[in-house]
Parts: sequence; C-alpha cells; structure tokens
Amino acid sequence: MNTRFSWFNATSIALGFAFLYIPILLLVIYSFNESRLVTVWGGWSTKWYASLLTNEDLLDAAWVTVRVAFISATVATILGTLAAIVLVRMNRFPGRTLFSGMIFAPLVMPEVITGLSLLLLFVAINFDRGFWTIVMAHITFSMCFAAVVVQARLLDFDKSVEEAAMDLGATPVNTFMQVTLPIIAPAVISAWLLAFTLSLDDLVIASFAQGPGATTLPIKIYSQVRRGVTPEINAISTIMIAIVTLGVLTASFITRRAQQRASAGAK
Amino acid sequence: MQGPAPSSNATDAHFNLTSGGATPPQSQTRSGPRTFAPQSGFAPWKNPIKPPIVRFENVTKRFGDFVAVNNCTLDIYEREFFALLGPSGCGKSTLLRMLAGFERPTEGRIIVEGQDITDLPPYERPVNMMFQSYALFPHMTVESNIGFGLRQEGMAKSEIDIRVDQAMAMVELMPFAKRKPNQLSGGQQQRVALARAIAKKPRIMLLDEPLGALDKRLRGQAQFELMRIQESTGTTFIIVTHDQEEAMTVSSRIAVMDKGIIAQVATPGDIYEYPGSRYVANFIGDVNILEGKVSAVSDGVIDIAWADGPGTFKTRSAENVTVGQQVWLALRPEKMRITHDKPEQSENAISGKVDDVGYLGSISHYHVRVANGQRVTALRANSAQSFERAITWEDQVWLQWPADTGVVLTK
Repeated sequence: MNTRFSWFNATSIALGFAFLYIPILLLVIYSFNESRLVTVWGGWSTKWYASLLTNEDLLDAAWVTVRVAFISATVATILGTLAAIVLVRMNRFPGRTLFSGMIFAPLVMPEVITGLSLLLLFVAINFDRGFWTIVMAHITFSMCFAAVVVQARLLDFDKSVEEAAMDLGATPVNTFMQVTLPIIAPAVISAWLLAFTLSLDDLVIASFAQGPGATTLPIKIYSQVRRGVTPEINAISTIMIAIVTLGVLTASFITRRAQQRASAGAK
Repeated sequence: MQGPAPSSNATDAHFNLTSGGATPPQSQTRSGPRTFAPQSGFAPWKNPIKPPIVRFENVTKRFGDFVAVNNCTLDIYEREFFALLGPSGCGKSTLLRMLAGFERPTEGRIIVEGQDITDLPPYERPVNMMFQSYALFPHMTVESNIGFGLRQEGMAKSEIDIRVDQAMAMVELMPFAKRKPNQLSGGQQQRVALARAIAKKPRIMLLDEPLGALDKRLRGQAQFELMRIQESTGTTFIIVTHDQEEAMTVSSRIAVMDKGIIAQVATPGDIYEYPGSRYVANFIGDVNILEGKVSAVSDGVIDIAWADGPGTFKTRSAENVTVGQQVWLALRPEKMRITHDKPEQSENAISGKVDDVGYLGSISHYHVRVANGQRVTALRANSAQSFERAITWEDQVWLQWPADTGVVLTK
C-alpha cells in the first residue's frame, strides 16, 4: 500500500473533515461570542456559560437528561447483556430465531415509529407521561444496541472456559460473576457508554414519550431554537458535545485495549 | 539398485523383525485366555470382586436424530490410566463430557464410587477435567487459575497457597506464577491446565485430547509427564484421544470406539495383538486382512481357504469357528517375512510382486501385490548397511508367516 503523503489524499481528508466538523466548530466558537446576536461576532467571552448557570429551565432539562441517560443505560445494559447471553449460550429453544430477529429489529426501526408506538402504548394503558416514560422508551431502543455489542464479544468467547469453572466447583452464579463477567466486562462497559450516549442526544423518541413534568435537553433546545437561537443554547450544546466525545473516546479506548489483550492472547 | 557392497552376505531372514524380541513369548499366547502379558501386575479388571470406580450402565446419548453414544457399558477401575480411542465423531468426547456433567445421558446411568451421579451438576462431581483448548481463565494469573477450584471449596487461604505451590512444583510452573495465560507458550499453558485440575485432588481426572495442540516432540514429553503424575498421585485418569500411539503409550487399558459403540476394551498389547474385529485391527496400527472360509478345524488349528487366491492358511487359534464360516485373517506387517526365494519350510506363504517400497531409514515398507490384486504390506528392519540383495520394485517375492501369528476375525 502506498502510505506516502500525497496532495490528493490530504485534500480529500481535509474536505471530508471540514464537511463533518465545520458546523460543530462554528457552534463551539459562537458559544464564546460576546454578542447577544447569534450571527454577529462580538469578541470572545464566556458569559453565556455563566448565564447558563442561572437558567433554571435549561439546567433542569440537563439534569433530567443525565438522569434518564444514566438509568436507561444501566437497565439497557443489564437487559441487553442477558439477552446476548441467552442468544449465544442457549443453543436451541423454541422461538430462538424469532427472538434473535426481534431483538435487533429496533436497530433498523425508524425512530418515529418506535416513538409513536410507545406513545400509543402509554396512552392505551393510561400511564402518565413524564420522567419514567422517557426512561422506559430509552431502555427499549438502546437495549438492542447493548445486546449487539455484548453478543459480539460472547461469540468469540470459548464456552469451555465456563465449563472449566463449573468443573472446578463453581456454581452457575459464581461462574458468571468470577469468569464470564470479568471476561466480557470491556464489552459491557462499551455497551453502557453507547447506551448512555444514545439516550443523551435522543430527540425523536423522547419527544413522543415526554410529559409535562419532564423535558430533556434536546427537546428543550429544539423548542427554543424555533423561537430563535440564543447563545446560551450554543454553550450548553458545546458542553453536550464535550460529554458525548468523552464517552465515545472512552468506549473506543476500552474496546481497543480489550482487542489488544485478546490478540496478545491469540499469538 | 546399488553397486555390490563387498562384505555383505546376510540373508533376508536376519533382517526380519519377528526374529527380535518384539513379539510376546509365544508359548504363553495361546494357552488359556488370550492375553498379552502386561508389564506390571496391575490388572484390577481381572479381579471379579473389585468394584469399579466408574461405571457406565447402558448409557445412550442422542442429539436429535444423531446417536452419539449407543448403549455403552463400561467399567473403569481405580488408579487406571484409561484411554477412549476412536476417530472424530465416534462418541468418545461425549462419553467423557457425560462423566464430567456437561451432557446428560438420554438413557442409562453413570455411577462413580457406587454413587449414581447421572443427575448431579458438574460442580458437584468428584471429577475434574483438562480441556482440549485448556480453557484457562484469561483474566487470572497462573496462580489464581490453579487456585480457582480450591477457592470454590471455601478453603483457607494458607491451605490454598500450599496446594497451589505443590501443583505448580509438580509441573514446573513456579517461575511463571504471576503471569497471565497469554504470556505463556502452548506447552506452559497445557501444564497450567493440568495443574489447575490436579490441584483439586480429584478422584478421577478427565483429559479431553490434552496434548492435541502440542507439536510431536513436546507431545512425547508431555505423555511421560502425564504418566508420572498419574502414578505419583494415584489418581484415576481417563483420556480421550484419536492418536492411537498416544493411547498405547500412556494407558493401562484402551476402549476403541466406533460410531457410538465400544468396539473393544483391552490392554494396549491385547488390542494390538488380538484385535476383536477388522475395525479395531485397522484402527490400531497397520494390518493386512486376508478374507477366507474355514475349511477345517482340528486341535486348535484353523485352516482357512483363501477367498481370493490359491492356498490355505493355517492358524493356531482358540477362536470358536465352524467349517464353512466366513472369516478374516489379520496379519501385522512386521510379523510377515519377505524373501526372494520360496520358503522351504513355512506353514503359510503367498507370492506376489513388489508394488512399492517405502524406505524410512530404520525400516522399509514393502507393498506387495498378491494373487487377487490385493496389496499386502510387510515391514523389514534395515539392520545391514548395504543394499546387497535389496528387494526392490517389480521383484517377485514370497511372504510367509508362522501359524501362531495372525488373528482369526469373525466380524
């Protein structure tokens, strides 16, 4: 492979990254804008970050978002891990094919449809919409992502390792806690971070499941933007970008390290 | 094929392996029960009042329509090194996994030390297994891998440390105690797997193709290490292998399996010298099989009329056959003498043309095409350095064997 520097490659990379990141960069830069007008540059300032701290509405929404993301990611990871174990470990049970197909369907399901069907469900069972409906909705759609991530790890996991643990006297629970879980831990953590990030920036499903009591940050921002963008929105968006970036980087770092460890073991 | 060597006038007969000490004393072989004298007096299976440590009772295992193990009954005794031998898919691993508790017999019972363990889960059985893939815990050091089973018992930490050290010393793993499995070579990983199972001091140790991943040289060493550990700990070992040489080397008895059925259980010597069927004869070592019909039975001598060529073979055998019955005569290549000249005094001889010669240095294989076109193999030790009177391609030769070699098979 030709790995030498060429102007053609450099230009295409630059253009590609510009296409992806210039809008985001613009938003970050404008969050430090002195001017009240979003489109007019008035010099550097961090005052919108300071005023953000007094904006109860936005802070409430941010706090709701983080709590929703934390709870839904945790529950989704647990359920997704269990589903993955069942799919990989149990060889044959009636309806296995159906189950494995159904668990991955939400991956390709349009979010509008997921959101709408959840809304219909909540209305049908007369469940008051609010914080917990958002949590449930997020668990529903991020669980399958968690299952995919954990399943990939379980598939290249030698089943005889678990058999060896049981053979050496470990009960099924001890086998899971002392052998299976430590080995798949990197995948479980990646799954959690993925679910957390997905929940954090979800707008469509949350807007169907939200209620008067609880609004997430993406919904808040979206509704405020329609009345005109304020620099405060830029500031909070920048903070969200930072959190998401951190989550993605951590997830990929953990995955990479696990892969390196696995390939070192395979040599 | 070579120029004449000045000093050789050795005759063919001197090269023949049958003149060496490789065969059992012949006076003993046909009197009483047919057995090959074992090297030691260890033979608990001959003691009718000795209870077995493991008993498979009419065990059958089906996976859907496939019958992996078909109505197997088998006794294994304390301190035995027992081998389950067969090609892949013969059910040997399934039998072992049922004993370990990873598979449930569809029918039948498994009894260990008088206790029915058929329904016990793996973690409550007095057996430990060494896996083909070693199945080491990748996130634990060598020490904690070996100590894993002891920690499950809730043993005191000081006691665990002692037992782990003992196990590591036994397989010479001390310098690697703090390493993770992926920092070890294949041979070292194999020893960790062995130490981990043996640290539990099981009554019965199960080994599923334990040396399959090692190269040939290392495997030879590991076989002797297994035998040493088995003897020093006095544990009953049950090994699954597809390598007949490995089974012959390590085991006290071998069960040869074929399509879920146990074809024969016997000591390595008996399996080799007195196979019970053509399948077993073919599976263990090389064999020539000549088909024929019994033409006369008298005084322990069976005459067999060759089905595919001229001649009658005489065999001293206690096999219970009737005149006219179809039988097969199994002859080991190293027990057949190959000569250029027609033997003057030999109980059995057939002629043929040399089809192929395999020169292996220490021995040569001769593939001889005989009357019916069948290829018969003879082995000869190359005990002389010269190639004087060497048997070569297209030579007309005679193959001969005495009446007390060879086994009459009825199936």
